[in-house]
Amino acid sequence: MWRYVLWRFLQGLGVMFAVSLIGFAILHLAPGGPLAVYATTTYMRAEDMARLQHELGLDQPLPVQYLRWVTDLLHGNWGRSYRDGSPVLAAIGSRLPATVELMLVSLTLAVILGVAVGILGAVRKHSIFDYLATTGAMVALSVPTFWFALMVIYLFAEVMGVLPSGDIATIGRPFSLLDRVHHLVGPSAVLGLVLLAPWSRYTRSAMLEVLHEDYIRSARAKGLSEQLVLLRHAFRNVLIPLLILAGIQLPLLFGGALVTETVFSWPGMGRFFVDSLGYRDYPVIMGLLLSSTLLVVVGNLVADLLCALADPRIHIQ
Amino acid sequence: MRKMVGLAVLPLIVFLVIGYMSRATNGATPQKGGDVIVGLSQEPTVFHPLMPGIEVDRGVHMAVFDPLWRVDSRGNFVPDLATQIPSVENGGVAKDGLRFMFRLRKDAMWHDGKPFTAADVKFTYDLIMNANFKAATRSGYDQIASLSTPDQYTVVLTLKKPYAPMLALWSDTYIVPQHILSQVADINTNDFSKNPIGTGAFKFVERVPGDHITLEANRRYHGPGPYLDRVIFKYIPDLTVMFVRFKTGAIDVTGIQGITVDHYAEAKTVPGVKLYVEPTSFVEYIWFNNALAQFKDKAVRQALYLAMNKQDYVERVYYGVPRPAESFLAPASWAFNPNLPKHEYNVSKAKELLDQAGWKAGPDGIRQKDGVKLSFSNSTTAGNKVREQAQAFLQQGWKQIGVNMEIKNMPAAVVWGDYFYKSQFDSVMVGWNMPVAGDPNVLTWFHSGFIPVKTGQGSNTLQYSNPEVDKLLEEGVSTLDREKRKQIYQQVQSIIRDDLPFLTVFYYVVIEGTKEKLQNYQQNANVWSNMWNVNEWWWEK
Amino acid sequence: MGSAERPEAPRIPPALARFLRHRLATGGALIAVLLIVSAVFAQRVAPRDPLFIDITKRFAPPLREGFLLGSDELGRDLFSRLIHAGRISLTVGFAAMIVSVTAGTLVGTLAAHASGVLDTLLMRLTDVFLSFPSIFLLLALAAFIPPSVVSLALIIGLTAWMEPARLVHGVTSSLLSQDFISAARATGGTQLRIAWRHVIPNSTGPVVVAATLNVANAILAESYVSYLGYGIQPPLATWGNMLNNAQAYFNSAPWLAIFPGLMIMLAVTSINFVGDGLRDALDPHGQK
Repeated sequence: MWRYVLWRFLQGLGVMFAVSLIGFAILHLAPGGPLAVYATTTYMRAEDMARLQHELGLDQPLPVQYLRWVTDLLHGNWGRSYRDGSPVLAAIGSRLPATVELMLVSLTLAVILGVAVGILGAVRKHSIFDYLATTGAMVALSVPTFWFALMVIYLFAEVMGVLPSGDIATIGRPFSLLDRVHHLVGPSAVLGLVLLAPWSRYTRSAMLEVLHEDYIRSARAKGLSEQLVLLRHAFRNVLIPLLILAGIQLPLLFGGALVTETVFSWPGMGRFFVDSLGYRDYPVIMGLLLSSTLLVVVGNLVADLLCALADPRIHIQ
Repeated sequence: MRKMVGLAVLPLIVFLVIGYMSRATNGATPQKGGDVIVGLSQEPTVFHPLMPGIEVDRGVHMAVFDPLWRVDSRGNFVPDLATQIPSVENGGVAKDGLRFMFRLRKDAMWHDGKPFTAADVKFTYDLIMNANFKAATRSGYDQIASLSTPDQYTVVLTLKKPYAPMLALWSDTYIVPQHILSQVADINTNDFSKNPIGTGAFKFVERVPGDHITLEANRRYHGPGPYLDRVIFKYIPDLTVMFVRFKTGAIDVTGIQGITVDHYAEAKTVPGVKLYVEPTSFVEYIWFNNALAQFKDKAVRQALYLAMNKQDYVERVYYGVPRPAESFLAPASWAFNPNLPKHEYNVSKAKELLDQAGWKAGPDGIRQKDGVKLSFSNSTTAGNKVREQAQAFLQQGWKQIGVNMEIKNMPAAVVWGDYFYKSQFDSVMVGWNMPVAGDPNVLTWFHSGFIPVKTGQGSNTLQYSNPEVDKLLEEGVSTLDREKRKQIYQQVQSIIRDDLPFLTVFYYVVIEGTKEKLQNYQQNANVWSNMWNVNEWWWEK
Repeated sequence: MGSAERPEAPRIPPALARFLRHRLATGGALIAVLLIVSAVFAQRVAPRDPLFIDITKRFAPPLREGFLLGSDELGRDLFSRLIHAGRISLTVGFAAMIVSVTAGTLVGTLAAHASGVLDTLLMRLTDVFLSFPSIFLLLALAAFIPPSVVSLALIIGLTAWMEPARLVHGVTSSLLSQDFISAARATGGTQLRIAWRHVIPNSTGPVVVAATLNVANAILAESYVSYLGYGIQPPLATWGNMLNNAQAYFNSAPWLAIFPGLMIMLAVTSINFVGDGLRDALDPHGQK
């Protein structure tokens, strides 16, 4: 078992190395660079740009730059942002709480609602509720998140004025839990609704399968009430696949959160990535790429381990 | 007798009282208190005023630091850390222009309580010229032969040769503390860049990355004010969202880049706000790469200008907000040439010009001559909505005269990288303000020795080369007499208007909004950010 | 897993019947076909030139001044632009799908047929790409590569080939290990013939489903990339960049944002339903 974990860990390292190499190559080979942002700062001229280029080490050959980055990384130095000179890890760390807050709340909402909808849909198969839920889930999957977010902002923030149009808290005021929750409603509703769909679909089909299993029928035959049957037998066996889904979805949340963060001006990692991309802040982009890859690798490992633990029949390769 | 004295004194008292009350610009006494939230569509991240930064960073520098003197909205210098503006008349500037001397205030203090002295000015200069320091620019400072401080409050500058923009240069140089920065281990990476200490009206409190920056009032500020308690810069990446926040009152000031023209009509209907709509010195250009075969021919450039429907461009695409421009200098500049020929919209004349110059339409309707097609690309920052509309508009218009303009927009980081600096573009749509702090010295923009792709320095990405202009520009930078310089630069404007190395479209009118009750906000076309007089802002209760 | 049914080439009529029983899928198919037809014949279907600027007729609301769905910020007809944009968005969607399915099938089949080192290597490579958070990869590529229909299709395809690869690999491996395959080998069938007659028909089912879902995701991906400003640039219209443009005018001209969004929703939903229906039709015993 531990040999498996170690093997996967090594593979994970290999994956991160490959990702960093590909990422680095794309960033540096593509046109444009971090100095373009000074174009409208007219007191800086071409010779200043050339000097900056040299100071940032961007005039070195690519393999040299990459090696320098990797060596620094192995010494625990993730580099410094071109924009504000702050250490990359610290910069990512400062944005992390906002994203985690949004992701956890959205995921919780999505899971609770999604599982509930899924169970209900499975139990009342082919009812109106089921059709509505299925269609609704499909539509939720098909809507561009940012468009949905814009509609929400327009309706609830501008027209009705009941929600703030973005941000994590009202500026200039001291911390207030109520204020924070108020600001969370919009983005977590949008992100949650989008995440809800796979949960409800997955739960529904898993429940349907389980509901047909023999031992359920025998439980029913024994005269146990419907609710009890559901709760004790069906649900418990559905739980494991759902946990696995959670393990897989958690790192993927980064992507969904990215667009939501942009529309709602949420100061999290997703928006940090988009901003850094625009500025070509290479050290930060590499840092974000690496940390999110790490999360994905870990998430996958956890999901696989859960899978193996849950069902000893599954052979660990 | 006493009655007479009393009668005489009374009007005197009234006069004095009125005079005192009209001290503040709008005739009322500034009231203390309140916070101001400034919305910015880019995030300020560089707090060291001498390191490379962008416009929004300058806004923070203006609040936290001070220069020796400021330039106001009319282009006049106003003393800040210095006591007087050095000039030939008051002896501050030597007749040959090679020596500047000025005295400093004795009551200015750093935010940590230490006094400001001439050592700080000398340190600032030394730091900029320090080869190990990542300075934003050394251009202009390299004209200084030496800077000395005969005593604690006097500074003497000696130049290598006369350099007219010296005063303007220092109006945009923010003084940094010698007692802090001389003690740091690494001059480029240190705590000062994250927690700056200045002499300005506001002290730096904190930065929440990706969200906002908080400054609080410096109660021991040497100048007028500050009247506000705090200034908060809020980062809102999207201009439309920023406008929405302004409408709902979540922000008090729309900072850079203000309100876009397509929201102007809506902005006028928002209650409780004041809109500032003043022309800036920023000019919108269609910037040609003059080394390209298509643009080498003056007839082509003239024809393109003739076939550009400038009126509709300004009045419809831009809702009539900006002002049409013929010169690279703004009317507010003392060197502005008001007699440049006005633009004429004449499609048939354009066609004639091209016909006469030998550009004949090919089978696809696009003109060509000697194997060169009159086809080129035009690039600008992707996502700039109004510019994209302008490009589509131009494209359709120029098609009529057989010119094919291809729209090739890219993200800012690409278009303004090597693509621009190494003159790899065909043409770009861009706007900027060439003069620095109001000085019309445009040597590095038009002089043939300053083409970056050829000489590695300058801003002449146009690749424009005209020996007459070269000579005039060299004269302009070394002449000290304002009248003489005015004549030189007016001539330069005239020649360039004739040569058309670029097309001038309009002068930007930045639309900025503040809440009605905010007093003393002043737009200033001569500086980078309208935070320049934040120490004088106050809230009417 | 599926029951131990004897694999054989799927018979079309029952599958079709199963598909048609799925009402939502049938509806989706009809809408999808309608969209595709209008995209192919865009020039005939659209009443006006989508690029024609009439600066005097900006921001006309729907049903005014002769514009069915209104006009945009340059006075261009929204309806015509939607039709032409559909052509581009759908082309990107289908092209990306072709890229991802082709690449995925190649990798998956190769890995399954090869053995040992090559197999592991290719599957690990798939893992590498799966570990690359897709939105980051997508954005990073789009931000750095000049956007065009071809480059976008390639980029989106590059972030979506892993699922087909895994699918094909899984199906192929399991099939290859089955008795009848070794029997076929024993009777002298070549690798190619085995692939042609047995493997491909049996893996088609899940791959077709995955492919359909890929189209839907690709259309969404294009809209995300365009929203963030890295997609195909105006004046050429795609549903994604029309949404991006419309954002600034949300208050004054909401129809500019509502309709492109609806179109995306319509296209993606109907294709997703088709995918669902296909899954029921071709793969009734479900492979997760």
